[in-house]
Amino acid sequence: MQTEVIDSIKFSILSPDEAKKLSVVKLTVPDTYNEDGYPIEGGLLDQRMGVIDPGLLCKTCGARAKSCPGHFGRIELVRPVMHSEFSKIVYTILQSTCRNCHRLLLSDEHIQEYRSALTKLENAVEDVEPEAIEERVEAGSLPMLKRLKNMKKCERCGTSKGKLKFSAPTYFYVDDYKLKPDEIRDLLSKISQEELEILGIDAGTSRPEWLVLSILLVPPVNVRPSITLESGERSEDDLTHKLVDIMRINLRLEQNLNAGAPQIIIDDLWELLQYHVTTYFNNETASIPPARHRSGRALKTLAQRLKGKEGRFRYNLSGKRVNYSARTVISVDPNINLDEVGVPLEIASKLTVPFYVTTWNIDKARELLARSEYPMAINVISKDGKRKRVIDLNREELIKELQPGDIMERQLMDGDVTLFNRQPSLHRVSIMSHKAKVLKGRTFRMNYCVTPPYNADFDGDEMNLHVPQNLEAQAEASYLMSPQYQVFSPRDGDAIITNNEDGITGMYLLTKDDTYLTKEQAVYILSIAKVYELPKPTKDGLYRGKDIFSAMLPKGLDFTGKSSKAPFVIKDGKLVDGVVTKETFGRGDNKLLVKIGKDYGAEVLKDFIFVSAKVADAYVTLMGVTVGVKEYTTSSKLEAERVRLLEETFGKINELIAQYRTRKLEPLIGYTLRQSLERMIIAELNLVRDKAGETLLKYETSEENAAVEMTRSGSRGSVLNIEQMTMFLGQQATLSGGRIKRGYYTNRVLPHIVPGDVRPGARGFVSTSYYSGLAPTDLFMHAVGSRSSEVYKALLTARSGYLYRRLSNALQDYCVDHDYSVRDANNNLIETIYGGDAVNPVFVQFQKLAADEDK
Amino acid sequence: MTSKSDHELVPVHELLSDKEAKALLQKLNLNIDNLPKIFESDAQAVKLGAKAGQVVKINRREGKRDTSYYRVVVEG
Repeated sequence: MQTEVIDSIKFSILSPDEAKKLSVVKLTVPDTYNEDGYPIEGGLLDQRMGVIDPGLLCKTCGARAKSCPGHFGRIELVRPVMHSEFSKIVYTILQSTCRNCHRLLLSDEHIQEYRSALTKLENAVEDVEPEAIEERVEAGSLPMLKRLKNMKKCERCGTSKGKLKFSAPTYFYVDDYKLKPDEIRDLLSKISQEELEILGIDAGTSRPEWLVLSILLVPPVNVRPSITLESGERSEDDLTHKLVDIMRINLRLEQNLNAGAPQIIIDDLWELLQYHVTTYFNNETASIPPARHRSGRALKTLAQRLKGKEGRFRYNLSGKRVNYSARTVISVDPNINLDEVGVPLEIASKLTVPFYVTTWNIDKARELLARSEYPMAINVISKDGKRKRVIDLNREELIKELQPGDIMERQLMDGDVTLFNRQPSLHRVSIMSHKAKVLKGRTFRMNYCVTPPYNADFDGDEMNLHVPQNLEAQAEASYLMSPQYQVFSPRDGDAIITNNEDGITGMYLLTKDDTYLTKEQAVYILSIAKVYELPKPTKDGLYRGKDIFSAMLPKGLDFTGKSSKAPFVIKDGKLVDGVVTKETFGRGDNKLLVKIGKDYGAEVLKDFIFVSAKVADAYVTLMGVTVGVKEYTTSSKLEAERVRLLEETFGKINELIAQYRTRKLEPLIGYTLRQSLERMIIAELNLVRDKAGETLLKYETSEENAAVEMTRSGSRGSVLNIEQMTMFLGQQATLSGGRIKRGYYTNRVLPHIVPGDVRPGARGFVSTSYYSGLAPTDLFMHAVGSRSSEVYKALLTARSGYLYRRLSNALQDYCVDHDYSVRDANNNLIETIYGGDAVNPVFVQFQKLAADEDK
Repeated sequence: MTSKSDHELVPVHELLSDKEAKALLQKLNLNIDNLPKIFESDAQAVKLGAKAGQVVKINRREGKRDTSYYRVVVEG
């Protein structure tokens, strides 16, 4: 392909003459189709501007809709109008020139001064950076414009400038006389080229009077295609509607002019024409009402097509829709491995993968080509690049013609490499490669252990699937982007693909000290782990849960860690001591997963997570873990404890308040007495919250309580959650983080509270629980807290989303090079050594040293 | 009087000779403009008497490791 380097691009203003030359037809009829449904000649869909119906021929170039580029038409306005997007420039020019002699409002010396400064800049362009030039121009031209603005009269002919007023978007007044667009055009056209240069306008290519429009270019029909509805009705593009408006007024204005109508009517129509042209360019122009569709919807005109998130740039150019991709709802399937994705048959038969035909696989290719149902060939691309769709008619022929070097596109099959993605793609593990597994059903199926990196759940989430289309891409995806290589987060080295939810609860229950399984149960569980060898039974013919867990571990594993402060010891592939909790798998500095990954590799690690989650699920199902009201019923002992705790705390707080009243309270350093009191009260309330949690765990010792068991295993729920349901809700906070103190007038939350009351109950402390029910006032406080946190969440996501967008755009092409230095796309050095130490957090492993043990 | 730039938290700056600078750029496969920049008027550059186009080496201690950063002196 021949390439040319673009040296420079110059933008300029279209002159009426150029516009005339550019257009192929003058439009005269403000309508689209005649009664027969045929485009009117001289109308807005004149076939000389191109055609949109396939089959029809363009009357200008003779090409069909697909190859005709479209041609511009023009509307000749009977009276000129201002171009609203340029009126600011027109204002500057009008302000700087004399309306009598059409010269700049500067003395010759000043003009000379600015001109020489300009020439100097021009000559300096070669060796000065563009930013510097911009700065100098600004430094020079801003004071000049200011001087021009403040000039009262022309220094040459003495004409007073009068009071020039600019009223957005297109009106200009001189001493309350409204300038008409043609008068403005005359003024602008009389300014000399040399003087315009001083104002920074290249009058050689862009005369300012061209900013007043007398000829309006009409974009080709393929820019504003009309669509035929199912009912056979035609619906026109917004731009066409707007152009019809312009032409209609233009025609009426012409008729009135010819009929010699009174000046008021002419002026009204003229102004209306100005309005239509203004909204044609930008329907969101400030200080004029947007033009609306019959339905009341604002029209989408030229500026709206380009602007913003849904505009041409961000929607169609920075982000495009792609081929070889699919999207549907996701759902769980624990029987699918971590690096697999269940693909519906419907999708698998639409997506294709290239099959490169060689001497060695041509038989296999022919076999696929011969098939007429699911795993079959869709297209054959011969060596010369011709793509042929496989249909029953040409199948035999294609099989015969097939030869090494051809590419055959076959349907997606089990084991094909695909890329799986969930938006927002916030980090690299939002896109990972999964092997396709074609299944019945209409959803993508995935293992729930890989949900955390995608931040996915199954409440209706949808995800995208892409099929890499060449061998290099496939290899790269499967080696670099596979979940088994992404188990550990590049942020801190913790495991992000691990067992979670039931996958933890099950492991926890299975590995508890007093878990024993019958032979039947043991065989069932082990069969799921695909282990066909029973461990040694105990004396009474039962099997220890720990032994079942050990059967899934890789052979010969030695590991010592901690789980919920108790030791967790694996010796020679056998779990000797300890219970599995969330911590065991992959948080903090003792990670079973790190050990397995390091010693046995990613494959073994992946299968361990997969199998242990599956076994855990089976065991949970076997045992039945249910959460109901009984989990949150308080015992009388606990209730007594709750009352005692609260009374104790309130007593202390009352004492603090009494001390405060008598000025005996010792203030905290750096705080006023009142602030100190507030902080002390909050500290007391936090303390009682923690104490309540401790008491809860002390009294709820039964292992029958599923909610507490889940908290202990770390799979779901916290002590605080249970505490809020069984004991008391605690302090409700506001946006600012402090206690609730306003809401009703005179400095209180609710009318029944004495103003200035700082006791817990008056400031949003709720001492009842979800189980016992909330008192009306408590419910109010709770609602305040809920609303607060909801609002905060909404604000936070919006803000952090934008912050992230800016950050990722700024850093997107930074890359760690082979010498561990960080560079950007232009080879600029960002950091000599990545992170100062070239350490990749994924490979960081914490290890206790003998010296640490002694301490 | 002690200067602020003698503070222990200010990393040690040193000026590379033209020969050293050339070798460095060769080693890192860089053009001189690809290096991070330091102003001629920067307190450290003034102290070293560095002129535009020269390279300053900054010796930092990050964590438990000594690292070197390089900056090209620019006008300003």
